[in-house]
Amino acid sequence: MTRLLLALGLTFALPSLALTVHVVDQAGDPIPQAMVTITPTEVPAADLSDDGYVPHGVTATAGTVLTRFTDALGTVALPDDADARYRVRAQGFVDAYFDDLPERVQLAPMSLEQLYASYPSNVWLSQLAFGGDEALKKSFLLNCAFCHQQASPFMRNERTVEQWISVIERMNTYGARLPPEHHERVARLLQVEYRELRDNPERVPVPRDWEPHLSDIEMVEWPIGDGFSQMHDFLLHPNGYVYVGDNLFDRLYEIDTDTGEYTVYKVPHREDDELGGILGNRFEVFPKMYNYMGVHSFAHSKKDGNIFITPSMQQALLEFDVNTKEFIIHELPGGYYPHTIRTDERDRVWFTLALSSQVGMLDRKTGEFEIIDLPARTFREWLVLKSLPLIFWIDPELRPTPAPNDESIGLPMPYGIDVAPNGDIWVARLYANDIARIDAETLEVEMIDFPFNGPRRLRVDAAGTLWIVAFQDSLLVSYDPATKQYRKFELPVINEVPYALNVDRERGVVWVNGNQSDTILAFDIGTETWKVYPMPRQRFFTRDIEVAEEDGAIYTTNSHFPTYQSEGAVPTLLRISPLAD
Amino acid sequence: MRRLLPLTLLLTAALAQASGWSHYGGDAGGRHFSSAAAIDRGNVADLDVAWVHRSGDSEAYGEEMRLTSTQGTPILLPPAAGESLVYCTPFSRVIALDPGSGKQRWSFDPQIDRRGERPFRCRGVSYAEVEDSASCRHRLYLGTHDRKLWALDAATGKPCSDFGAGGHVTLYGDEGYIPGEVSNSSPPVVAGDVVITGSTVIDFAYAKSPRGTVLAFDKRTGAPRWRFDPLIGFPGSGSANVWAPISVDEDLGVVYLPTSAPSPDYYGVDRPGDNPNANSIVALESATGEVRWSFQHVRHDLWDYDTPAQPILFTWKKGGAKIPALAQVTKQGFVFVLDRRTGRSLWEITEHPAPPSQIPGEQTAATQPKPIAPPQLLDPFLMPDDAWGITPIDRRDCRRQLSELGNLGLFTPLKEDLTLMFPGSLGGSNWGGGALLGDRPVLITNVNNVPFSGRLIPTADVASGDAEHDHPAAGHRMVVTMQGTPYTVEIGSLQSFLGVPCNKPPWGKLVAVDLEAGTIAWDVALGSVHEMAPFPVPFHIEWGTPNLGGGIATAGGLFFIGATMDRQFRAFDVDTGETLWRYTLPVDAAATPMTYEYRGRQYVVINAGGHHMFSRGTGDYLYAFALPE
Repeated sequence: MTRLLLALGLTFALPSLALTVHVVDQAGDPIPQAMVTITPTEVPAADLSDDGYVPHGVTATAGTVLTRFTDALGTVALPDDADARYRVRAQGFVDAYFDDLPERVQLAPMSLEQLYASYPSNVWLSQLAFGGDEALKKSFLLNCAFCHQQASPFMRNERTVEQWISVIERMNTYGARLPPEHHERVARLLQVEYRELRDNPERVPVPRDWEPHLSDIEMVEWPIGDGFSQMHDFLLHPNGYVYVGDNLFDRLYEIDTDTGEYTVYKVPHREDDELGGILGNRFEVFPKMYNYMGVHSFAHSKKDGNIFITPSMQQALLEFDVNTKEFIIHELPGGYYPHTIRTDERDRVWFTLALSSQVGMLDRKTGEFEIIDLPARTFREWLVLKSLPLIFWIDPELRPTPAPNDESIGLPMPYGIDVAPNGDIWVARLYANDIARIDAETLEVEMIDFPFNGPRRLRVDAAGTLWIVAFQDSLLVSYDPATKQYRKFELPVINEVPYALNVDRERGVVWVNGNQSDTILAFDIGTETWKVYPMPRQRFFTRDIEVAEEDGAIYTTNSHFPTYQSEGAVPTLLRISPLAD
Repeated sequence: MRRLLPLTLLLTAALAQASGWSHYGGDAGGRHFSSAAAIDRGNVADLDVAWVHRSGDSEAYGEEMRLTSTQGTPILLPPAAGESLVYCTPFSRVIALDPGSGKQRWSFDPQIDRRGERPFRCRGVSYAEVEDSASCRHRLYLGTHDRKLWALDAATGKPCSDFGAGGHVTLYGDEGYIPGEVSNSSPPVVAGDVVITGSTVIDFAYAKSPRGTVLAFDKRTGAPRWRFDPLIGFPGSGSANVWAPISVDEDLGVVYLPTSAPSPDYYGVDRPGDNPNANSIVALESATGEVRWSFQHVRHDLWDYDTPAQPILFTWKKGGAKIPALAQVTKQGFVFVLDRRTGRSLWEITEHPAPPSQIPGEQTAATQPKPIAPPQLLDPFLMPDDAWGITPIDRRDCRRQLSELGNLGLFTPLKEDLTLMFPGSLGGSNWGGGALLGDRPVLITNVNNVPFSGRLIPTADVASGDAEHDHPAAGHRMVVTMQGTPYTVEIGSLQSFLGVPCNKPPWGKLVAVDLEAGTIAWDVALGSVHEMAPFPVPFHIEWGTPNLGGGIATAGGLFFIGATMDRQFRAFDVDTGETLWRYTLPVDAAATPMTYEYRGRQYVVINAGGHHMFSRGTGDYLYAFALPE
């Protein structure tokens, strides 16, 4: 075994001793872009005495997982860790596992059955035609593909129509909103079309090849929480820590990516708060739920670094003092379902109120909130929105909930939000297919039609151009406020349903969350070209991206719901960073 | 014209080879199928009692009948062996009858050791011809409750003097027979020159229960030939025994063992990893006991998902190929179809992610195997909004209970708070297994569809005397201290205060599965609840009942089954699931029926001994039905 002492310039706590591995196929030919993952087997035991979690204020250490890819010669340099397990994975080959990685790894080809089974959800999903009813398919994607992958192997199992209906009804209780009139038809179509694909798997498109740029990057993961957690959004803070929120268990993870150490802060709630907050508990049967607040989205004050968090289950805003590690609960004067949050240069905190179709703003200078109404699309919608205080006055168990419909009347759902370089506030309304511009001075609202479907989250680049994901249309869309022109960009993977994106303003790159294809997608604004990054685990569902200013590394979290369905069964914070030259 | 059709079929049947029932499962591969066709869809309505035999157990054993479960299926001996109908009673008594009249020809009582509290069961005996035995050429093998393997002369019922000591060998070691720990229930099987037997082990009460070693003996002398311990490498555990019937493949020289869960059923900290060979179908070379392959359908079992039924051997003909195949029904409600030469699944196995455990130190398997088809035979999700009740009040009670349960569907491990167990250890499918429609790739199987709930209670918190009931029967909650672990397990059916299951009926059903298409051809409710209410109802309410026992299919297009909690013995149309005939027995029939032709007449026979586990009456009846002469 060739083992070289290499200075790899790793920024995490792995041994600096290095080994070089050569990955080949059965003929001895090199396999480029083979993914080699190192998982430590010796991790300091964590104190999990708080219902399986690290208690408030206690620090533990994550078992840092490293992934690198072979180059064109099938070679990759890796740290040599005696207490590690190695996985070698390449497209079309059977995974190989080692406790002691040999110098030469020969991978066996997959059988056809294994090959088809290894394909990610998106390529299978692309072949579901829903009987040619494109609108129905988009309704299905919008309502059924935002928690987990839809066509993962265990979703493709044969089910009776009754079993499919049962699945759909159960998902609707969790928060999906597939209109009842579609249930039986969707159930029948899923049964028939999955059956056809099972009999004709050759129809499924081959997933996109892993490409040479992968040998220039490395991926590092920090497993945190457990299989029940949902690490939804997070924040890369200027203080060097990454703050990750567990949406289901009201915990904030403060992670030192240099050491792998993390400290857990349990989000407080008022004594009389109930599980599920004012929205009511949608996950009655989910074990050990602890979502009184519902830690959702993060932004930090550019003035003092304090972190602002939307607690989606409450009529409140959370502030975390990064110095004292204390939480402050700000009561909101109105609005329901605080969702995505951003801060501006004037130390104002902007956030969407998804259920009440509003935007909230906290001016930290005055401590005052402004609640801005976004216009209703119809009188009925206006009536529904104005009735919300009355509806929320009723106990959650008795509260009437309007049946979902294709137009989502009553639920335009302002979702993503961002602050443009000129200070304008931009908001996307997921179900209404429109975007809003809020004048940061006058708070006047301008609504602009979005000519695509499913504007979930958006960001603004350095030039002031908006970048918006069109969820069920599988598109990246730009909007130039100056020309009022939209442009659409096909994603480099088929039938992806992009959840969110972020813009590396420094480098002009739009990073798009994949969730059905086990990828993260990078769009170079200048060249209008894509790079695709495969995820180190299957069923890696991402909802947020942060960009490191200094080197362009990106961070994301695996927030597949439920998390235990992901490969490895634990949520991880993932960083993809360029390798040092 | 209506009369002509049955006559034609009768003639056809008479011309066909005489139809016997030579093995517990109809044949060595457990197909539960008979080519007898004299009784068919057209005449089954005329089926009536031909004779009734009573074993005498009820009178002889009295109160001890409460510890019995009558699960015996007779076999019909070949003419050379006396052509008797032979079965065993729960107390391991063997009785030979005249197949035409039900008159007793001989009986054998091994005088078993009846100490202990474990239920008495005996599912059957096996027959073999031993050509090199002068004194006992045609013989029967019996595994007894008290762990003895007997060889009996098929003609007389007398022990074979050339087998073991006085006709038997002991299946325990130097420690002697320990009442209540290990017993036998399913018939031994004969494969080549050996007779092979599994065992029933108490696997929920001890961390380290007795090993589930399978034993093989020379079929003539009883000399030990080989032994197979499925759980080698797990000293902190036991069981993984083979309590369900074994299948024999003489062509490949292989026996297929349905292995059960490792001990203790619901706590696996002391048996880390997948526990390979447990919860598996293990193929052994019958001559040597060497492992050919093993297919594990539950990894690191925490649910008591034993392999509950005999593997069913058949030929898979999909896509023009003819593959020797095996179908295995499971408690979790799956039907696995394997290439029996290799153990490879003929349907893609999808890895079903399983929730983690909240019990300290418990490492669940991250995924569990699930065939991509056929579909699961029941829907394992039961949400609060799915709560069912006869009245709004009991529905509300069920909804409340469901909303307080942990529930992430199949393979949710138990924790210290109540968790839904759906299916529970009753199944899904259980030991009745399924019946194949001859050469057609359709499997008919009975399925339980009742939810349970359970939890692990720190034993330190359990008051003395709370631990009782070793099975969750009839409204009781089973509370058993798992000795050698920190926990006591509590399990019971999930029901309202009225005693009604909290899910929508049917609570038992019959399902026809097309094994090659991977689909469900039909399913119907199995059983009427008219005797389950606080007072009897004078008409049938076909909501299905929990069921134990199997069914058989015939070339007459019929599927016969008892198994239900309504004392009914039914015949269904194999193509539609329509009930064509039923008969009210004096007690429930929890045994698998059998059928045979004898002197030109087809009989259908079922053992009716009651459902003590379901708090139903017991009896000692063997019923034979036939068309009027």
